[in-house]
Amino acid sequence: MKDKFANPFNVTKADVFSDREINALWVDIASGDGFWKLAKLTSPMPMYILGSKGSGKTHLMKYFSYPVQKLRHAKGVVEGVQQDGYLGVYLKCTGLNASRFQGKGQDDDAWSCVFAYSTDLWIAEHLVGMLHDLLGGNDAISAGEAAACTEIAELFDNSPADVPKTFLALHGFLRGLQRELDTAINNCGVNRTLTAAIHTTQGNLVFGIPTAVSRHVPEVHGLRFLYLLDEFENLSFYQQKYINTLIRERKEPVSIKIGARLYGIRTPSTYCADEDNKEGSEHETLRLDAWLRKVEPQYASFVRRLVVRRLMDYKNVAWPAASSSQEMKHMLGSYFEKPPYTRFGQKETAFVLAKYAGRDRPYFLTLRRNLETGIKAGVAPGVTVSTDADSIIDLLRVADYPLLEKVNILLLYKAWNSSRNLGDSATKIANNCQRFVKDPKSSPKYARVMHHFRADLLAQLRRECGGGRRQRQSYLGLDTLIAMSWGIPRHLLILLKEAYGWATFNGEQPFSEGALSVRAQEAGVMAAAKWFFGDAAMAGADGKQVQDSIARLATLFREIRFSHKPSECSAVTFSYDETKASAEARRIIECATNWSLLIEVGKQRDRNSLRVDTKLQLNRMLAPLWDLPIYRRGVLALSPDEVNAIFDDKHVATFDQLKQDRVARMTAPFFGRKAEQQSPPTTRQDRLLPGFDDE
Amino acid sequence: MSDYTIYYKDTLQLEDDWPTEWDVFVSAYTSARRVRQVFEKVKAAQKHWLVFAEYGYAPAEYPAGRVFAPETRDEADFIRQFWETMAPDIASKSICVDITGFIRPYLCFLVRWFVSCGIRRFDAIYTEPSHYARREETKFSGGPIVEVRQIRGFEGNHMSDAVDSETKDVLIINVGYDDQLIAHVAESKESARKVQLFGFPSLRADMYQENVLRVHRAAEAVGDAESYYAPANDPFVTASVLREIVSDWVARGELTNLYLCPLATKPQTLGFALYYVNECLNSSSSMLFPFRPEYDKETSKGVSRVWKYTVELPAVTTPGS
Repeated sequence: MKDKFANPFNVTKADVFSDREINALWVDIASGDGFWKLAKLTSPMPMYILGSKGSGKTHLMKYFSYPVQKLRHAKGVVEGVQQDGYLGVYLKCTGLNASRFQGKGQDDDAWSCVFAYSTDLWIAEHLVGMLHDLLGGNDAISAGEAAACTEIAELFDNSPADVPKTFLALHGFLRGLQRELDTAINNCGVNRTLTAAIHTTQGNLVFGIPTAVSRHVPEVHGLRFLYLLDEFENLSFYQQKYINTLIRERKEPVSIKIGARLYGIRTPSTYCADEDNKEGSEHETLRLDAWLRKVEPQYASFVRRLVVRRLMDYKNVAWPAASSSQEMKHMLGSYFEKPPYTRFGQKETAFVLAKYAGRDRPYFLTLRRNLETGIKAGVAPGVTVSTDADSIIDLLRVADYPLLEKVNILLLYKAWNSSRNLGDSATKIANNCQRFVKDPKSSPKYARVMHHFRADLLAQLRRECGGGRRQRQSYLGLDTLIAMSWGIPRHLLILLKEAYGWATFNGEQPFSEGALSVRAQEAGVMAAAKWFFGDAAMAGADGKQVQDSIARLATLFREIRFSHKPSECSAVTFSYDETKASAEARRIIECATNWSLLIEVGKQRDRNSLRVDTKLQLNRMLAPLWDLPIYRRGVLALSPDEVNAIFDDKHVATFDQLKQDRVARMTAPFFGRKAEQQSPPTTRQDRLLPGFDDE
Repeated sequence: MSDYTIYYKDTLQLEDDWPTEWDVFVSAYTSARRVRQVFEKVKAAQKHWLVFAEYGYAPAEYPAGRVFAPETRDEADFIRQFWETMAPDIASKSICVDITGFIRPYLCFLVRWFVSCGIRRFDAIYTEPSHYARREETKFSGGPIVEVRQIRGFEGNHMSDAVDSETKDVLIINVGYDDQLIAHVAESKESARKVQLFGFPSLRADMYQENVLRVHRAAEAVGDAESYYAPANDPFVTASVLREIVSDWVARGELTNLYLCPLATKPQTLGFALYYVNECLNSSSSMLFPFRPEYDKETSKGVSRVWKYTVELPAVTTPGS
């Protein structure tokens, strides 16, 4: 067990883990044959493993690397590697310090040649070092080793005078060449003279060494030599082009897997007549976090086991080895203080009863104000005097159930928007409500509205009647935190890290004495959300624009959520016509998607034109910053003007007015119409709430 | 091996006459009063203003006198062009540099250039501010971070370990006020163990607290990091502390590749450059920097102490350096 005061979730990056920890903390996903099969380690087909920051690419690739293979097969590494069927050569592209290969008075062509040579040496040095570790010192293979080294020496334009006979000597030779090249590259920065000598043809070492070793050393014959190149996004356009060329010209027994962030692929182009590599032809692609989102139940189970691993390792939490997924869910869930859940929201809204005992509740005051304004403007159908307003409000009261009062008010606003007689509508609503309280099944339409809008109306109640800390929006319980992390395990770890840090700082001892308190979870959620949003500033030149755009979109969602008559319930998703949005708006949307601030959640057919539009949801991690729900229900169809106002800097000046226009349509008493224009909305969709017809 | 702590440093008074007269004096132009006051005060046969493109001055805003203002934003191109065209044959001349307004990569490369030219000694002047314009909210640079890369001339011969992918890279960040720069450089070497070197004692008592508040904002990117301290106004102690930190990691057997990143005060940046040219040339060590396109012209208020450091440099011993 580690230090008992250590935060078990402190390490959120696989990079920081040692090989031993990568191995020990490994958790597979219970889907098919898990990550092993997903990664297709022995397949000759190259693969791009794409994912957001924190989606687990590095953990996955490092787990399949030789150093961890060695740990897995401590009793017999050669046999273990043979059993795996591959040898994982893991390299991080940051190790190349790729920015050295630019400028300094040299042109791009010169640098691309030097980069290719440096990359070949780097891969070769790494591979030969690994071969020495795997096979070196084994007398039985010395003849094969020498023969392989001789063949490898012939890969150089001028074979070395003293041909290395062992992998160790070959490694030293390659290291010498690399140092010589590095010195030339580095000195070029000072004296602007590049005196690098290139000793091999591009790709010769990368493919030639595995071929030679396979031919001469039976122990590795038939093995797949798998280059795992991580952090591809750190390479420039022409540098990626070289790696793409290696993929295109791949030779047996080599395969290549490339790890990159979603925005990390700068080009599919190669140096083979500038042709592009095509998915399905030259490579396949695993989109890791998208895949984890697709298998959400398996993802939830996977991250729960990941949490359990941390707790066992750091907090000495005992865990029955054979506990089922459901048992684990139940046990782990008990470590998190959760808000109550009651059918009519009695416990969730008890604070309203306590705070407003003997006085009017704020939402009724608002309704009265709206009715009186409506009476004066002549836009409140069936209501002409103040006493009518009193009667309506009395009909909608359900003193013990503030949540039902909110449902009733929502239904009234909906009827008002349809220009129905408000007195009659209030009577019908009251009857439905009474039936619902007696037996929810007896009023299925009312129940449906309650079900759809419950989260939004509770959020409104907290905002209207809360004010204190306790009535903040609720993002609580492990299941909610897992849902917020949404395919990105690091997000869950950061949420837990922040919550645990807050808890222990305030004297709690979660996971050993008691559950993680509501306050700690609230603090953790908010800190993690701020981190995630702030991290978008890292998106280079577009970071600020992306952040501002997301803030505008979220503000629009929030205003809709807290309007009198939200057009959509749980609106955190939008669709738009890509063909009509400006190029800049499309570019920023793409950038926000690549940074996972927006997540594509499928397609939607436009109600009027039947055109199929892309649906994008705000990342759930951002929800707390704007008091938004994490689960989506309604989808907001944004007009081209709205999309441009949100995502294109040139149109930002129109955003406030467009937002105001949209929200005005959901606001009593005018619902976006002027007094003299009062007429019912034209479409049936506008008139009806989900599940309500003209009863 | 140099003992940096015996290098000579002194304070100068703006009100007094400064006895020393140099052959060449260079200063980086900013709108800060402390920079202009020193420029006027210094006695030198040649006085040059360097105007860095990142400050965004229009030609009409350039100061009077000899001004060198090329468009390049490459630290090596800028420094080399200046010395080759404006002040050649410097090896035998006495040189003074006001480092106060220098942008850090230019300052580092200047030191590297002096080494390659065989200069063994120069004076550096640094004027402390009374405080930064907006306390811990002061913004020193702007625009997106274009790239994190090695500073020219501070690129090492790095190694990778085939059989033990456990990180033996160490990144020492001289943490300043700009948390975004810190976060970027930390993320650029995600797998490296991180060391934070704070300027403590700070230039002014409250600046350390402000510094810590800003650094905390980059906590997620930096992760667990050991903290060390060196005086914010002392390049020589900074170089000594760097040596201690690195020796400690080497002794533990936990250092293969070293990355240094100076993001704090200019004297400390000078200390980083001094340490590198003395102990890291042609090794697996690099100096990294997160490059930004813009820097604020004036970030400080008032003038506090003026420091003069006499910097001694190593002889050129390695081919090509």
